[in-house]
Amino acid sequence: MFKNVLTTVLIWLTALIVSGVFVWLLSDIVIHGLPRLSWAFLAEAPKNAGRSGGIGPIIISTLSILLVAMVTATPLSLATAVLLSEFTENDSVIGRLVRRSLDVLAGVPSIVFGLFGNAFFCIYLGLGFSILSGGLTLACMVLPILIRTAEEGLQATPDDYRLAAAALGMSRSATLVHLLLPSAAPALIAGLMLGVGRAVAETAALIFTSGYVDRMPDSLLDSGRALSVHIYDLSMNVAGGDTNAYSSALMLILLLLIINSIAMSLAKQWLHRDIVLYE
Amino acid sequence: MKKLVMFVTLILLIGAVWFFLRTKPDDTKVEKLVLTGSSTVAPLAAEIGKRFETLHSNVRVDVQTGGSSRGVSDARAGLADIGMASRSLKEDEKDLLSFTIALDGISVILNKANPVEALNKQQIVDIYTGRITNWKDVGGNDAAITVVNKAEGRSTLELFLHYFGLKNTDIKPQVVIGDNQQGIKTVMGNPNAIAYVSVGTAEYESSQGAAIKLLPLESIAASVENLRNRSFPLSRPLNLVTRGEPAGLAKDFIEFARLPQVNDLVEAQYFVPVPR
Repeated sequence: MFKNVLTTVLIWLTALIVSGVFVWLLSDIVIHGLPRLSWAFLAEAPKNAGRSGGIGPIIISTLSILLVAMVTATPLSLATAVLLSEFTENDSVIGRLVRRSLDVLAGVPSIVFGLFGNAFFCIYLGLGFSILSGGLTLACMVLPILIRTAEEGLQATPDDYRLAAAALGMSRSATLVHLLLPSAAPALIAGLMLGVGRAVAETAALIFTSGYVDRMPDSLLDSGRALSVHIYDLSMNVAGGDTNAYSSALMLILLLLIINSIAMSLAKQWLHRDIVLYE
Repeated sequence: MKKLVMFVTLILLIGAVWFFLRTKPDDTKVEKLVLTGSSTVAPLAAEIGKRFETLHSNVRVDVQTGGSSRGVSDARAGLADIGMASRSLKEDEKDLLSFTIALDGISVILNKANPVEALNKQQIVDIYTGRITNWKDVGGNDAAITVVNKAEGRSTLELFLHYFGLKNTDIKPQVVIGDNQQGIKTVMGNPNAIAYVSVGTAEYESSQGAAIKLLPLESIAASVENLRNRSFPLSRPLNLVTRGEPAGLAKDFIEFARLPQVNDLVEAQYFVPVPR
């Protein structure tokens, strides 16, 4: 009896601590960041090294970098995940090789991706400090997350589906498009969210690739400062930048929430429409 | 709800496509000037760049960070038009030219709650080399000293080592930091920490109520005032670095950065304009 009570108390306590940390963090950012947040702040360009003015160009740069990263990484990772789960045996040489290299890639610190991106995209390919370099570097970084979650989602679909589809004479590609991908949609979207989260929070990889310029970008080949780099610079390098750092951090969280909810409802519409799975 | 989400997404996509496909008639005429290097100089260079852009409509000044050593090597390799370094050039860097745009000093800082009011040169050396590890040995509380050092490649570190005649391998740090603000925040959060940061930044932060104090050096108070009259011993120049005599746009920019018209920008970043 006593043991039961103790366990219950401990579990509740853990849950309380975890959500407490989250609430503390969020309320700290909201309390410090909300007073400065306004439409003007979102639209204006930074002034005086970011101490005054807004974050308009920085939001645009962040979204552009994210767009490049996701547009590049999503098809690549979907294709790899399909290869791994549908077209190779689990213990085949190629499957093991790809999985092992993805696991290594997932464990690489982001600063290493930054240095790689700087050496390869900026210097070797001649893209310079640009939104394109930053986006492609982030694409490399989120690949493992996207692939592994998509693969797990595909593998979780029951084999019955594949067998039934084959018995009905559906081609493999039709089975994939109409049956397997829609039923794996929740996992695909969850992976996408994780990827977006990791990408939008990235600082180290972007400071060397998409750069530090806080002007409104004209094209993907311009350098553009991401929100996370801006927050880092304001809080760690610019004296008196703390208030705007808080407001930018609040904006980053809001941005993430908006992207997540859009992606979630899109997934519900597009992918779940094709398939009815009420068992 | 569904329609609303579709609508928002559509608008966003159209906006993104328009944004990157809109025609730019003058694009070919735009000249780009790339500066890389010291994160201390970067905000100042970016502000000067913005003012420079307003005077030259088809010029874009791109400022990137990464530390003084990076600025020097990028300028030498031609990866940047101008490098930024928050120190003087070293002996083996004399193949480059440097142009001072502002002055900055380095101050040793302690938490306000620390009773120690001053340290002499030898005491600072002993603390940083680990010969003194407790504040009570220099007249403070009985508490272990937290030594905060700068990361390799930071010019603040090089200047500090040079002034105190130390090697980085001699230093026994508990915390290694990157930027000035990080040093200030570390000391604010730890009453037994000692760190060294830019005088301008430290003076501003302490005037804004940060719980730090600036220690005098050789009995001279660490202040922007004493930097300006050049009496404070531990100071550094903020330099623009070029390979060979600057020409064209780089020359215009460097000349502009040294004019009195940008003094307000220098002071806004808590640095001291170069007397001329």
